[in-house]
Amino acid sequence: MELNRLVSYSLRIGVLASVLLSLVGLFVWAAGGFDNIVSAAGPGIARALASAFQGNDSGFIYLAIVILIATPVFRVAISSVYFVKKRDGKYVLISLAVLSMLVFALVSGYAG
Amino acid sequence: MLGPVDVLVILLVSIIAGFVGALFGLGGGVLIIPFLTLVEGVPVPLAVGASIVSVVATSSASAATYVQDHLTNLRLGMFLEIGTVAGAITGAFVAVFLPASVLFVLFGLVLLYATIVMIRARGIDFPADVRPDRTSRILALGSQYEDHSLNRVVSYEVTRTPLTVFIGYFAGIVSGLLGVGGGVINVPTMNLVSKVPVKVASATSNFIIGVTAAASASVYLLRGDVHPLLAAPLIIGVAGGALLGTRVLKVTPPTRVKVAFGILLAAMSLLMILKGFNLPVVL
Repeated sequence: MELNRLVSYSLRIGVLASVLLSLVGLFVWAAGGFDNIVSAAGPGIARALASAFQGNDSGFIYLAIVILIATPVFRVAISSVYFVKKRDGKYVLISLAVLSMLVFALVSGYAG
Repeated sequence: MLGPVDVLVILLVSIIAGFVGALFGLGGGVLIIPFLTLVEGVPVPLAVGASIVSVVATSSASAATYVQDHLTNLRLGMFLEIGTVAGAITGAFVAVFLPASVLFVLFGLVLLYATIVMIRARGIDFPADVRPDRTSRILALGSQYEDHSLNRVVSYEVTRTPLTVFIGYFAGIVSGLLGVGGGVINVPTMNLVSKVPVKVASATSNFIIGVTAAASASVYLLRGDVHPLLAAPLIIGVAGGALLGTRVLKVTPPTRVKVAFGILLAAMSLLMILKGFNLPVVL
């Protein structure tokens, strides 16, 4: 597949999934009588994500947020794979440099 | 506590933010943060956290369209990301060697200068005799796009690439500090320094800021600064608005985009300078 289409599809699917999950979250919230939702932090995020599978409103929205944030990162990763396949050394280096910086940001984010 | 009315209002406002963001290569954070803090009374950290998540949504939604239409310069975008992402990390984690206030005043002045240049050169999108620099030739950055307002294919070269990456690094720092995408700096830099057509600059900026914002968004998320009831309507709204914005950009003449961007730039540069002098400005 051409790189433009590969990137475009990845972004489209990520955004669509995120929008749909946000909608589901808001509907569940409305159906439950607009209860008070508080924001989670650190390990609480993982618990919130797990609660999506029990039909929890904030669980769906956290899932939407995580998928959304992962979308551009996935786009960079899939571009690296594309350039490796095309044996385009310069752009393999460029995309891997961006990817490793992103991974660093995520990991150090976890570390605090 | 947020009620259904708040969520509905946020949804409507975020449609406008997504529209403007997609059109000008910005994340839309410059509209969302003041709205959430001033109108909805949301505390600043939560407003910034929600805004940075919505920047990812605006950017990804609009880039999906622009990339498919070949309006985005993928190669240029990926190369510039090295600078902007490094900057975002610097801004978020490492003590910046310049105080934030100095950075704001500096960027405010630079943007003010960019405004003047952009408005004065409003008649021409980019000069005809652009010679690609060495980096640009090695990385094959020159490209072309089909302009639906001009009804022709526009070919262009990219010049002074290292300077644009260097400025992109500082745009990344500002983005990490402010919770915005940094597009307000990247678009004029690409157009005025590297002579990239303004519509390509906007589309490529949207492509870049998704990655820059994702890096900062994860930090805000883990810190607990992303509230679900702010994030959900924002994600839905900006994604919808961004789709509208991409349609409008396609058919708008480049010179008109430039003038509109110049006006936006003037306002932004003044806000940045005021912020640098610690005046009560929400940005």
